[in-house]
Amino acid sequence: MNMTSEQTQARVPVTILRLSGDVDGSNYRAVIDQAQALYRQGTRDLLIDLGGVAYTSSAGLVALHNVALLFNALEPPDPEQGWRAIRAVADAGEGGPQPHVKLLNPQPRVAGVLEQTGLASFFQIYNDQAAALASF
Amino acid sequence: MTVTLRVAAEVHNLAAIRRFIQETGAALDASASAIDDLVLAVDESATNIIKHGYGGQLGDIEIEIWREAEAVVVRLRDQAPPFDPTRVPDPDVTLPLDRRPVGGLGVFLTRCLVDAITHRLTSQGGNELTLTKKANAHSVISQETPHEHDQ
Repeated sequence: MNMTSEQTQARVPVTILRLSGDVDGSNYRAVIDQAQALYRQGTRDLLIDLGGVAYTSSAGLVALHNVALLFNALEPPDPEQGWRAIRAVADAGEGGPQPHVKLLNPQPRVAGVLEQTGLASFFQIYNDQAAALASF
Repeated sequence: MTVTLRVAAEVHNLAAIRRFIQETGAALDASASAIDDLVLAVDESATNIIKHGYGGQLGDIEIEIWREAEAVVVRLRDQAPPFDPTRVPDPDVTLPLDRRPVGGLGVFLTRCLVDAITHRLTSQGGNELTLTKKANAHSVISQETPHEHDQ
């Protein structure tokens, strides 16, 4: 898996984090680490481009939720705890999409896993980068 | 034909495990959808064995795959402490997220992805997990392009 990031200026500054490759139990923590580094550098709104991700296991979903918690100024749970981590996100956000981390261009298989686990409802998902940036 | 892969229980071997299921599933004439679901189910199961079964201790995972009539069967064996994923409560995904019971994401996904899952303890005290998937099955994971978020 590879990651790159770039800063853009929408109504607010937005960082685009582009992922490519497979996300699994061997590398999902790298996504969390990268997002934490961006947050420490001042990023507060994040668009995660999943267009290059052909595969994710549940580890990748836990990473996305962990990042969403961080950017909503909430204490991320232990990502090893699966549903418990996701419950914490839901408790904090009352189940609706949170405003600070959005997803761009998930491939059908990845989007399907998000749907299957019920996590898609927690993210605003876009297929168009301009529309995604304008939404922040 | 039964094909076997034996690897160290380490997360960096997950890609090799997925590749093994992908290639042998195709050789066993399973549909692309069935293979995709099996790849994810085996990945989730192997990840649980590595992270929660062995928990950082050294060990191996042995994976066998074969065709059985209209199904593809994958069997994972390990020597980690006993753990039966079939006993993990199944979350009700119709409930709001904040009301779902705590359980393993990987176990939940695995159950969704295969037609049958069984567990038994081996005579050596290890775990034997068997996943069965119809070889011509359509994927349980939606393959539709996601809709743009409503503005």
